[in-house]
Amino acid sequence: MNVTRLKDLLQAAVELELSTIPPYLCALYSLRPGSNDEAAAIIRSVVVEEMLHMVLAANVLTAIGGTPRLTGTDHVPRYPHELPDGVVIDLLPFCPQAVEAFLKVENPQHDHQAMDPEHPLIVGRRPEKHPAGATAVMSRPATIGAFYAEISEALEQAAKELGEPALFCGDPARQVTRQYYYASGGMPDVVTDLASAQAALDEIVDQGEGDPSSMFDADGNLAHYFRFQQLKYNRSYRRSDNAGPPSGPPIGVDFDAVYPMIANPRGADYTDPELRAASDTANRTWSDLLRQLEAGFNGRPEMLLTAVPTMFRLRDQSLVLLANPLPSDGRRHAGPTFEWDGVDGPDPEPDQMKGLQ
Amino acid sequence: MIFPQGATTRTEPATVTDVEYDVVIVGGGIAGAIMADQLNRAGQRVLILEAGSAEDLTLTGYEDYLTRFYSAVSKDNQSPYPVNPNAPMPRSGDAQPITPGRPDTSSYLVQNGPFSTDTTYTRVLGGTTMHWEAKTLRMLPEDFDLATRFGQGLDWPLGYDDLEPFYRQAEREIGVSADVEDQAYLGISFPPDYVFPMKGLPLSYLDQMVAQGVDGTDVDLFGEHFTLKVRGFPQGRNGIPNPAYDGGKGFTPVGAVSTNQVEEGGRCQGNNNCVPLCPVQAKYHAGKTLAKALENGVEVLAQAVVTKVNIDPVSGRVSHLDFRRYQDPSSAEFVSGKVRGRVFVLAAGAIENARLMLASSLQSSSGLMGRNLMDHAYLLSWALLPEIAGTMRGTNCTGGIVDLRGGGFRGRQAAFGIDIHNDGWGWATGAPVTDLHNIVDSQHKFGPALRNALVSQVSRQLQLAFMIEMPANPSNRVTVDPAYRDQLGNMRPVISFNIPDYTMRGAAFSRRLASRIFERLGAEDYTTYDPADPGYISYEGHGYRIRGGNHLAGTHVMGTSATNSVVDVTQRSWDHQNLYLVGAGSMPSIGSANTTLTLAALCFKSATHIVQQLREERAPLTLSAR
Repeated sequence: MNVTRLKDLLQAAVELELSTIPPYLCALYSLRPGSNDEAAAIIRSVVVEEMLHMVLAANVLTAIGGTPRLTGTDHVPRYPHELPDGVVIDLLPFCPQAVEAFLKVENPQHDHQAMDPEHPLIVGRRPEKHPAGATAVMSRPATIGAFYAEISEALEQAAKELGEPALFCGDPARQVTRQYYYASGGMPDVVTDLASAQAALDEIVDQGEGDPSSMFDADGNLAHYFRFQQLKYNRSYRRSDNAGPPSGPPIGVDFDAVYPMIANPRGADYTDPELRAASDTANRTWSDLLRQLEAGFNGRPEMLLTAVPTMFRLRDQSLVLLANPLPSDGRRHAGPTFEWDGVDGPDPEPDQMKGLQ
Repeated sequence: MIFPQGATTRTEPATVTDVEYDVVIVGGGIAGAIMADQLNRAGQRVLILEAGSAEDLTLTGYEDYLTRFYSAVSKDNQSPYPVNPNAPMPRSGDAQPITPGRPDTSSYLVQNGPFSTDTTYTRVLGGTTMHWEAKTLRMLPEDFDLATRFGQGLDWPLGYDDLEPFYRQAEREIGVSADVEDQAYLGISFPPDYVFPMKGLPLSYLDQMVAQGVDGTDVDLFGEHFTLKVRGFPQGRNGIPNPAYDGGKGFTPVGAVSTNQVEEGGRCQGNNNCVPLCPVQAKYHAGKTLAKALENGVEVLAQAVVTKVNIDPVSGRVSHLDFRRYQDPSSAEFVSGKVRGRVFVLAAGAIENARLMLASSLQSSSGLMGRNLMDHAYLLSWALLPEIAGTMRGTNCTGGIVDLRGGGFRGRQAAFGIDIHNDGWGWATGAPVTDLHNIVDSQHKFGPALRNALVSQVSRQLQLAFMIEMPANPSNRVTVDPAYRDQLGNMRPVISFNIPDYTMRGAAFSRRLASRIFERLGAEDYTTYDPADPGYISYEGHGYRIRGGNHLAGTHVMGTSATNSVVDVTQRSWDHQNLYLVGAGSMPSIGSANTTLTLAALCFKSATHIVQQLREERAPLTLSAR
């Protein structure tokens, strides 16, 4: 087993987890204040766990001596984003179509009707699709579950060939530990050997797809797929629902109480200079966040503290965009575009910590 | 941390009447929560009676409180909690200047004066930790011998070393962030290798600015020399877990109470509305301990206000409690009930514990029930710094000056600690809202000019809060009077309170020290005290406004005998063998430490005694061979 390929697979896993975050954030931030409280809690709970998955994948990569990358045009996800099994995820406001896409991302068995390209939500808004990095490194097109299975096999193979100590040669000090990451979807596993690496990968798959015959993951929480089923049916699950549709009380889903964000927005769509400036600001913040996280995954875990206020800024700046109707359109609203700011460069300086809590 | 949904309504009043509990606890604040959790773990059947409304402390319940706080016009420490005439609580705007000889009866606390206090405590599930700031200072060893060493107030029947192991238990329960090297001063000691559960939170930028002027300041007090230094406070809020904690096992921070693990909040994010509520529950509140206890089977009956403690005339033991259970906070209708138990624990706070005992005509054979009421006297000083100092970056308070918490001067004047307020002049003037009104209404600014003026005004604000000690004095007291009752018919607390000269000497010194610090910082002093305000006191030709500290204590003081105290060193009533009065009410002095950590430590200690008592009283009598 070629360790370089293993690193490529794990880098693709980091990017895959990262790519799920902007679509969930668009849905979350598009909810009008005072509405959809349960929906917000559900989407937030999932997006927080995707962040954990990204940390877990990064820890496995670091453990084998790799360097997780989140910055630069090669690594920052672009939308519409095409997953290795052909599922396309768009940046959409909270709407039934977005929920359908989330269900498909979290469970490949989901009976998913791909959105009609002529659907008014996306017509003209899917100029090109951007394939996930995973597509290029995988041996065959497959689901996310199969992708992780392939990584898991490759790890085992490499450990057999090289011996665990040689494979897991990464500096343990570069692991993200619970000192710097906790209470956000679980605890990061420190990866030092094959068993801890497999445990980290299992956690990712378990929290996401879960076991399709059971609604709950190993920690007793609803798996992501079932959390989103609650949004689709506007009902909460009862324990007795047995992986069928939920039959509990309604949860107040209101698809009308949403800022009608344009699908897959781009900075270039904003011809109004004020809107464009607001979008550029949000993208600089998004890029700063990625720079801080990358530094945090590569031996400077204290940068994860700096990332917390950056996330608040990103939310606030996204809300500014979402609250504004497009002057050219009059009905649909602007939204965060999650584009890389193009400034490739060195790690953020420690003085970004200055004056912070 | 999962708070079981419906836990506050799952126990029926009828069930309660049919059962003899091992332990009945009155009050679901931090003291009651710790007692319930500890006793339940020891296999006892425990019931909590909570006077406040039956709101679950689930995430939804907590968020409802937050929403109410966000939409409240006045952001005072009780603003998240709706008015409940069946279990009323003092609110900081209640206090009025008192006309001598005429008690102020306009709000829940009837105030006899002469001093009118704006102190508060919170009567909801979770108690006053639902609004506390979460400073977790230990008391100094010398605070335990105040009478012997300094001729002031009362001594404790135990010392710092006796309480030290229980301080560590309390620090684990609350989840304290601090560094030992910052906290080992004036005799405070720790076992070798001890570290706090989490690392100390960093000093704010404002603290660092103030430190530039303060560090190295020399103070001479009655021949004793002190050098001041800004240092971090220990805090009950989540920071970075210390991997060296617990012999290298580390510490797992407790997040939000929730019904879903992923909603568990994280570490402190600096939202700066710690008081009353942390939006992400990085700050400890008793709901976190209650959630554990309730999940493990502790029962709670909410909206149940205990009206009377009944004593068996033969044994002198508590036979049962009478309570009134209301259906609706706004309606005076109630159903009466009684509850039996083997041991009873009053954990309703210093004022409510004494109020309930006095309303039950139980003055204590010492006559001290309700006497020795203590609080901290707060004196605020505020100024504008010459340059922007990052004020309003949270948490509310990260650092301060503690060098004058102890010393030989305590024979003559009160000790004090100083808080540097990251929330600016909020407490003193209502900033930043009042600044906004002023800039808009008086200066007529808008747009960028308004934004700039706000930044310039608010982010230069420096407020120093001097927390001044107040020794026990039997004439400061809680009583009851049948003439004053709440909607449910319970007698309201009547407060007689005076600030002693000892404390006022500390206040006068504090004011001078504040001026000196402001001068060193080049800050412009804006402090004024309005004679029309409640809490205004003239002392030696100067006026001061003393604010309540919400650190109420002393009303069922502990001591060495039934004649000099209400409870013994285990917080057990001298008069009634199966009754424990717990909380800050048992404390004979409070020094210059916020009371919660110490009262939590006392509760851990008492829980072990209660378990032992229950075990002994249950054991069949055996004839000894000896």
